[in-house]
Amino acid sequence: MTLLLSRRSVAALALCGIAVFVGSSAAFAQSHTVSIEGMSFSPATLHVKRGDMVMWVNKDLVPHTVTASDKSFDSRNIPAGGSWSRTATRKGTTAYVCAYHPTMKGTLIVD
Amino acid sequence: MNSSKTATLFAMAILAASASAQTTAPTDPQIAAIVVTANQVDIDAGKLAQGKAASKGVKDFAKLMITDHTAVNKSATELVHKLKVTPEDNPTSQSLKHGGDENIANLKKLKGSAFDRAYVDHEVAYHQAVLDALDKTLIPNAKNEELKALMVKVRPAFVAHLEHAKSMQASMGK
Repeated sequence: MTLLLSRRSVAALALCGIAVFVGSSAAFAQSHTVSIEGMSFSPATLHVKRGDMVMWVNKDLVPHTVTASDKSFDSRNIPAGGSWSRTATRKGTTAYVCAYHPTMKGTLIVD
Repeated sequence: MNSSKTATLFAMAILAASASAQTTAPTDPQIAAIVVTANQVDIDAGKLAQGKAASKGVKDFAKLMITDHTAVNKSATELVHKLKVTPEDNPTSQSLKHGGDENIANLKKLKGSAFDRAYVDHEVAYHQAVLDALDKTLIPNAKNEELKALMVKVRPAFVAHLEHAKSMQASMGK
């Protein structure tokens, strides 16, 4: 929970246009947005750099989740009109789904 | 099998109803009633299945149907109030209600895996029938742009539910 809250506050800072330093790499973090709309993730595949911020925005009328297939991250419930952010901390390719709607699939690639 | 026969009959009933509605195009108040009834019917079936389903997958699906169709109906009801449209009962909405009542009566007689199969079979037929009605009758005939836009927006949820139900159906085998 603490981790989730800190991620949210980092997201808020990024949204305010404040550069966020992540770890010792001290790189300027980029922000990326994935729309959840029409029961799909758009873009379905997103390339980011380690330390970048990714925000998923639920534009549907129904709740969704962003849940890594390897369980490395899980937004839990994102209500209609809500959003969830996380910092890409680990290099590699992670497939994710909406835990509610198994037809919804996405991929996060961290370089 | 009894359950799939009921599901097929239901699909035929709603298709016949939407076909007859097509000859006399439904008005916006009638379309509003069809949308609200279609969602309510699946909420009611979901409530029964959430308590009675044997497998966790089917229980979770039933819970999802309650959540999603309640969310859609909330938006539909808000729009109807905003547009000052009073939903008007019509043959299609009545057929949906009747089909939903028959489904619940049939499901109440079943238990265990027979219940799960009958519920899922019906969910496949129901979502397919509602999608056909959306595409052939409801979306093309909606006069109000916001009403039309709402149906276009919720359509992908019906597609996702249909695929989800079909995949459960396939995993249950014949």
